[in-house]
Amino acid sequence: MIFKKLKHYRMKSTKPILYLLLCIISIFSRGNYLHAQQTVTDSALLDRISTLEQQVADEKKGESHFMVAGLTTFGFVASSANTISGGIGQKVRTNSMADADHYEFSPMLLWRHDKNVLLEFEPSFDGNSLGVNWADVSYFVTPGLIVRAGYFVLPFGTYNKRLAAGWIDKVAGDPIGVADLPPSSDFGVEVEGGLPMGNMKWSYDVALTNGMQLLPDGEIQNAGIVDNNKNKTVTARFALMPFSNSCLEVGVSGMFGKVGDAGSAYEGASTDMYAVDLNFVKNISPFLVNIKGQYNAIHINNQQYINPVDSSSFTFKNQTNSGFIQMSLRPTVGDSKFVKNLELAFRYASFKTPNESAWSQNTNSYDVGLDYWLSWRSVLKFTYNINNTGNTVPVKLGGSPSTVNTNSFYLQYSIEL
Amino acid sequence: MKSLKYISKTSAAIIAGSVISLAALFITGCKASQAVAAKSGAQLWSENCQRCHNVPSPSTFSHEQWETIGLHMQTRSLITEDERKKIVAFLQQ
Repeated sequence: MIFKKLKHYRMKSTKPILYLLLCIISIFSRGNYLHAQQTVTDSALLDRISTLEQQVADEKKGESHFMVAGLTTFGFVASSANTISGGIGQKVRTNSMADADHYEFSPMLLWRHDKNVLLEFEPSFDGNSLGVNWADVSYFVTPGLIVRAGYFVLPFGTYNKRLAAGWIDKVAGDPIGVADLPPSSDFGVEVEGGLPMGNMKWSYDVALTNGMQLLPDGEIQNAGIVDNNKNKTVTARFALMPFSNSCLEVGVSGMFGKVGDAGSAYEGASTDMYAVDLNFVKNISPFLVNIKGQYNAIHINNQQYINPVDSSSFTFKNQTNSGFIQMSLRPTVGDSKFVKNLELAFRYASFKTPNESAWSQNTNSYDVGLDYWLSWRSVLKFTYNINNTGNTVPVKLGGSPSTVNTNSFYLQYSIEL
Repeated sequence: MKSLKYISKTSAAIIAGSVISLAALFITGCKASQAVAAKSGAQLWSENCQRCHNVPSPSTFSHEQWETIGLHMQTRSLITEDERKKIVAFLQQ
């Protein structure tokens, strides 16, 4: 009886102890589990931090940096050319996609070697060939002095160096005679800089290059990477911005050097060229008014040239003049984003080569354009151009006086890459 | 004739040296007025970029790209170094 009671008591008293033990085991197990979970979490966090640290290290700002910029221009042109020669007229209509004169794909490679050295290389495909617009290295010596060497755009006027890019130019084409005469790029060295002067600013740009080569018909072309004579050509531009808000810039340029091949009949031939340029950009409500212009005068000293008809010698005053003036207006007021993205542009260009030469011509060109800016660096251009050219090559040089009046419509898209 | 040639070369060297020295003095001596020096990057960005093209959006390029583009644009537009640094700092924001 006593034994039975004891057994019963033992069973009754064992249960709470068992529960207590189970609880303790459970708590300890849970603690271990939490500890294990914590360890796993810590490990994942450490891995993540390590990965992020590596990513930060990979993105570490260095002195060297490489990038691709540049531009591409693609468009459509429809033209109607009316040629009148000897009292007989002939009309030819064409259309083309892309516009062969203005298509280009020009990725520009920029390599900032360190904070003071920049390398620039711009290959360019124009639909027929692959050329190079510039390939140079610039060293930023002091705040007002940059030294450049290589193949670069000459500081003659501003059109070629600043305004020729399709996404910058307000009309579809280039101003005739300004973009290609004199040749825009050359091999050599250059020093340049922009400097403050009280409320004004001024800039200088001086280049020493191989220079040009005079051809037997009196035209000039680039001498190339091997100089055609011992003389180097100096090209310089000086500009002043008289107002503190930089709205006006006036520049004068000159190019001087020998242009004849050493040892040739043109050994003494030299050139003196001058250009003046103007840039005015100001917000005059309700428009952003943009006026640009450039005038070039190219002169070669007196030489004897070869008549292409009979190879006899003849001479003429070798003076070529070209220039353009352009104005564009972009609305700056109102709520319409569409209207604010529009820009209206006008341009007049003139190109006159020597009267008595075998390449004599007198051209006047007028452009009216409406641009729609898709972004700050991409534009859709609608341009209508009227081009009147008088071919004034003398008969004794094989010429046949004629006039060509060409009306062209351009639809062009250009973007900075 | 020889002495003339010598004098000519010496004169040329003196003239060239003087021109370079004066140019260096002029370049380093050029300073902006207080009002111009106090201009912000945003103001310089709106005044200078539009001289050739539309004002660029800061979001177009990364910080590093703006540094490189800034150098390239300085060679093209011949803005001053101070202007370039302020404009780039504004575009990096």
